[in-house]
Amino acid sequence: MKEQERFEPRIIGFLCNWCAYTGADLAGVSRMKSAPNVRVLRLMCSGRVDPTFVLRAFQLGADGVLVAGCHPGDCHYQEGNYKALRRTLLLKRVLRQFGIDERRLRLEWISASEGEKFARVANEFTEEIRALGPLELTAALETGPALELEEVRA
Amino acid sequence: MITVNINGVERQVPEGTTILQAARALDVSIPTLCYHPWLKPFGACRICTVQVQRPRGYELLTACNTPCEEGMVIRTDTDNVRQARRVVLELMLARWPNVPVLQQLAAELGVEKPRFRSEFCDEDPEACILCLRCVRICEEVVGASAIGYEDRGIKRRVVTPFNRESEACVACGACAQVCLTHHIKFEPEDYRGKPPEFLLGPNTAIFIPTPQAVPKVPRIDPEACIHFKTNGCQKCVEVCEAKAVNHEMTDQEIEIEVGQILLATGYELFDASVMSQYGYGRLDNVYSALDIERMLNATGPTGGRVLLKNGQPPRAVAIIHCVGSRDENYQRYCSRVCCMYALKFAHLIKERCPEAEVYDFYIDMRAFGKGYEEFYSRVLHEGTNVIRGKVAEVVQAGWSKQDEGTLLVRCEDTLIGRFREIPVDMVILCNAIVPQRDAERVARLFGLSRSPDGFFLERHPKLDPVATSTDGLFVAGCAQGPKDIPDSVAQASAAAARMLATIAKGVVEIDPVRAEINEEFCSGCRVCNALCPYSAIEYLADKNVSRVNSALCKGCGTCVAACPAGAITGYGFNDRQIQAELEGLLAVR
Amino acid sequence: MPYRVHCMVCAGTGCVSNRSLDVRDALEKELRKRGLEHEVQIVTTGCNGFCAVGPLMVVQPDGIFYQQLTTKDVPQLVEEHFVKGRPVQRLMYTPPEAPAPIPKMSDIPFFKHQRLIALRNRGLVDPEKIEDYIARDGYQALVKALTQMTPDEIIEEITRAGLRGRGGAGFPTGVKWRKVREARGEPKYIICNGDEGDPGAFMDRSIFESDPHSVIEGMLIGARAIGARYGVVYIRNEYPLALERIQIAIQQAREYGLLGENILDSGLDFDISVTRGAGAFVCGEETALIASVEGRLGDPRARPPYPAESGLWGKPTCINNVETWANVPPIILNGWEWYSQIGTERSKGTKVFSLVGKVRNTGLVEVPMGITLRQLIYDIGGGIPGDKKFKAVQTGGPSGGCIPAGMMDQPIEYVAPDGKHEARDYLDLPIDYESLTEVGSMMGSGGLVVMDEDTCMVDVARFFLAFTQDESCGACAPCREGTKLMLDILTRITQGHGTMDDLRALEEIGWVVKQTSLCGLGKTAPNPVLTTLKYFRDEYIAHIEAHKCPAHVCRELNTYRIDPVICVERGHGCGVCRRECPEKAIFGEKNQPHRIDTTKCKKCGVCVDVCHFNAVIVE
Repeated sequence: MKEQERFEPRIIGFLCNWCAYTGADLAGVSRMKSAPNVRVLRLMCSGRVDPTFVLRAFQLGADGVLVAGCHPGDCHYQEGNYKALRRTLLLKRVLRQFGIDERRLRLEWISASEGEKFARVANEFTEEIRALGPLELTAALETGPALELEEVRA
Repeated sequence: MITVNINGVERQVPEGTTILQAARALDVSIPTLCYHPWLKPFGACRICTVQVQRPRGYELLTACNTPCEEGMVIRTDTDNVRQARRVVLELMLARWPNVPVLQQLAAELGVEKPRFRSEFCDEDPEACILCLRCVRICEEVVGASAIGYEDRGIKRRVVTPFNRESEACVACGACAQVCLTHHIKFEPEDYRGKPPEFLLGPNTAIFIPTPQAVPKVPRIDPEACIHFKTNGCQKCVEVCEAKAVNHEMTDQEIEIEVGQILLATGYELFDASVMSQYGYGRLDNVYSALDIERMLNATGPTGGRVLLKNGQPPRAVAIIHCVGSRDENYQRYCSRVCCMYALKFAHLIKERCPEAEVYDFYIDMRAFGKGYEEFYSRVLHEGTNVIRGKVAEVVQAGWSKQDEGTLLVRCEDTLIGRFREIPVDMVILCNAIVPQRDAERVARLFGLSRSPDGFFLERHPKLDPVATSTDGLFVAGCAQGPKDIPDSVAQASAAAARMLATIAKGVVEIDPVRAEINEEFCSGCRVCNALCPYSAIEYLADKNVSRVNSALCKGCGTCVAACPAGAITGYGFNDRQIQAELEGLLAVR
Repeated sequence: MPYRVHCMVCAGTGCVSNRSLDVRDALEKELRKRGLEHEVQIVTTGCNGFCAVGPLMVVQPDGIFYQQLTTKDVPQLVEEHFVKGRPVQRLMYTPPEAPAPIPKMSDIPFFKHQRLIALRNRGLVDPEKIEDYIARDGYQALVKALTQMTPDEIIEEITRAGLRGRGGAGFPTGVKWRKVREARGEPKYIICNGDEGDPGAFMDRSIFESDPHSVIEGMLIGARAIGARYGVVYIRNEYPLALERIQIAIQQAREYGLLGENILDSGLDFDISVTRGAGAFVCGEETALIASVEGRLGDPRARPPYPAESGLWGKPTCINNVETWANVPPIILNGWEWYSQIGTERSKGTKVFSLVGKVRNTGLVEVPMGITLRQLIYDIGGGIPGDKKFKAVQTGGPSGGCIPAGMMDQPIEYVAPDGKHEARDYLDLPIDYESLTEVGSMMGSGGLVVMDEDTCMVDVARFFLAFTQDESCGACAPCREGTKLMLDILTRITQGHGTMDDLRALEEIGWVVKQTSLCGLGKTAPNPVLTTLKYFRDEYIAHIEAHKCPAHVCRELNTYRIDPVICVERGHGCGVCRRECPEKAIFGEKNQPHRIDTTKCKKCGVCVDVCHFNAVIVE
């Protein structure tokens, strides 16, 4: 019998192109150890993050969502990260209404040179979600059952 | 124009010319004492007396303040004039027999031996002769009116108000400049604590910074300029033929539209006075690297000689590397250029002070470039002592007279494993190269990131060291990180080439990532208008829809996320694309 | 019921310091005691001019002149004159060698020869009552000027009258007014120069103290003529009574609407402020005065520009002397022809002189120009007291020169204005601006010092030069150094240490200081020295070569000797001088002739003073 597999959280990371994505890239180039659980989705700006994306991510099976952008004042598009901040705060309250633990949504400021920070956040967040357990919001999925990797490769 | 006759020669002069001015234009000499071209004529000394013919006889008048009249007949050489000038001078000599300027005038006027001696005779050769030029220049030119006179008659003296130090005096030295007898002396105080010979700053209020300045034009120091203190003077404006001096100049903000910007804002030198153990700013003869560069320069205050504060050459010099660099407490990085210039200093000091001992205190000798290692060897051969170890502190050698001026460098010599105390006369610190103190503000202004050391962040440390993450914005030189001149030149050329390439192309490709509004779906709620940081969305009132200006749109997607009707598409990152990504990411366990 | 008698009690500074106000108070008390206070009015007036015989009083309407009054005389005066109608002869003025006193003021020689224009109201009005001034046709001239004349007509009137500045320079007043009128700049100023620095001069002080409104009226007319808005009266600080009276007068004029805005509905706005001097003679010079008013150091400045172009605060300014202003109202009221008939060809009108020195009747007189020195000194002045010989007269104060008596049998040659050479005695010189300048002196502000044989001319020169040297402002080298050197030389000469070279030096330095000084003070300071050198050179030589002062004034050069005959026969060898001599230099015994040991004698002169028998001879 297989040992019960440890729960591996699936985390979607919305990273802004200029800061957070570059920082994540730096983490990679610098050979830092960061958890593979964070699956990166690159956007131009954290302000592009539509709250429906977050909900859709949870709906599609994400256990946690990380939104990462430039530090306040340093946004490549001036103020996009402030919009992200506002939306995230409001979104957390909405999630609570849905019965989703708001800790599953995390907003971080990661600059292009903070590779180390990205790695740390990724690791921390993964452990946090692992401790929270899987979300299992699988009811009413319109996309069908989850596919195994082999099926995808086929 | 009016006609006057001076010593038989007729001359036309403009109205308002004084007799003295007219005479000087004709090269007729009239002696003066209290007259000064910058000042209103006063008529105190009466030496410039001339004879003017009148209908019934003549009149003796002073030439400096008498205006010419039409038809005036003036003689400067009659017996009356000579007698008048002679006796007036004798009267002054009776009071001040040893003043050189009076003795000179006496010789010119033929006064051999003064006949009189006043009860108030003052034999001082630098006595004040009451020409009052100092009082007048302070009032008329400088505008401070800081000195005047007291008492009357023979007891009259030039003094400051109530004989106390005058608060109105701006220490400009104008009075000393016009004093005929050196009675008033001007001794400049230490400028910034350094004796005048070591002046690293300007000597006058209007000055050319150095003979090698670019552009080589004068500038005015508003702190020292008399005009800014008293609203007077402005002599520089008067004498400038090109009318190039303008005290009213203010900073102007100019708006230029550009397509590319190169930031080459350079570096600052770490202020070593916070490292009090080295004594910079506290002990004499402890200098920063830039101070020594100035001293070694042929146009510097010492003409290039290496001198201590007391004017003597040093017997021993210590050069301390890594002051503020490679330091847990200050800058952790290496400032790259210091080792090489430290070796340069050692070489030049040995050259100019052959008797001096030079000690280099280093951690690692970084001689990385072309010819650098060879130069290091040469410096070692010249007899420079290199000691590997950090310097703990620099102290005064002692309190006795023979120790006066000597500094002790206390260090660890790691190659022999011992502590050492080395007496030297001069200490040179190699300060770290740090970002300019406004680097954060500049970065924010241009939307740049900075690396952890504070210098501006390049797009890629290996592959793109001149560009930044923003298109059209480039960095070069020490603004991006400490580097020496060859490297700065290389980087700058690279940046310039990149910029020229873009210009040469003539067209710029706009990023396809931008937003567009579907006017069918748009209901004119205008939520997006206010959100756009580039004001790229305009509202068309007649159609009641909003429209994105694609030339201005940067494609951030903020409006896309915000549109309640979902009417905006963000090309490259539209909702369906992101949804698809999400599905893909979460499809696999 | 109107008063039947007016007692005009003199309250000029001289009489006041001789207690004339006490006399007035006693008079008041006595009249009240007698119940006469509603019949006899007491009026306190300004100076009458006959200062030698104060305190004095004039009883009008008869014009009876009383002099040297004390409070003790009052009861008899009231009883005899006011009750019984018998004027008191004892208290009247009796000229020396005259058989009887002269009751009426207008008969007294001192007053008879005077012609009062500037001083027209002296002794007749209470200077602190504007009503008195108005009652004597005061401010009538102003009314005429404002209502019947244009400004140009006023200037024309003054010009044709020939009024010249009475401060000393004698510049034609009408010309000055026209210059200021034509100058550009607003507002224009009028200044009344009341600095009167000449030692011993008190003409202007008298005018202020006796009749201040005459000055105000003159300034008002001047303001109308030249278009001035503000006036300044500059009065020297040492005249407290004059200051008080002019301030009262200004206040009263304001109350009457004669100063302020739209005066007498004529559209003229003019007001006067008073500035006090601060003890500097040089501030009588117009540019120094202006500096002083502006609050700056009172140093003169070079001219041009003249004050008429650029004066107070840089604006056109008309400065005139007090006496000049006082002359303006009568000229306007009576017309230029009336005025131009008084005086000489080139100097019209009258001049106030202060007659002082070795003359019987010292005081203040106003005489027509052209009067001779002889008339002034002998007819008005009463001659030299004590039968001394008249030696010289000094005119123009420290800026002027002296005129010698001349030898009676050797007339001096005099060149008249028309070029004719005449043989005249200086005493018969008609006084006007030009004649005085031609003999080497000047009119100045009107000081006239009479000197007799007991005056040392060297000492006189030294006295005046000491004054100007002390008052020199020190700006220009010749005046500052030259006056001091000349003074040192003169002092040495009076002490017996002079040389003949000194005389040449005095002349050289004096000439240079005169020619090259910056302002009038320096230019005129050498005058007393140069004129005494010219006319009394032998006195200088006596001091230098004989070590003797002919007038015995220079103590160091005197020898004191006791006449043994007088000492024994008259004084009986009393020995008072021996006891009083501070140097113990006199020897002798009772009934023996006393002797002075000249080696010990310090020439203090005490022995002369204490000897009752005049046995001490000064040689």
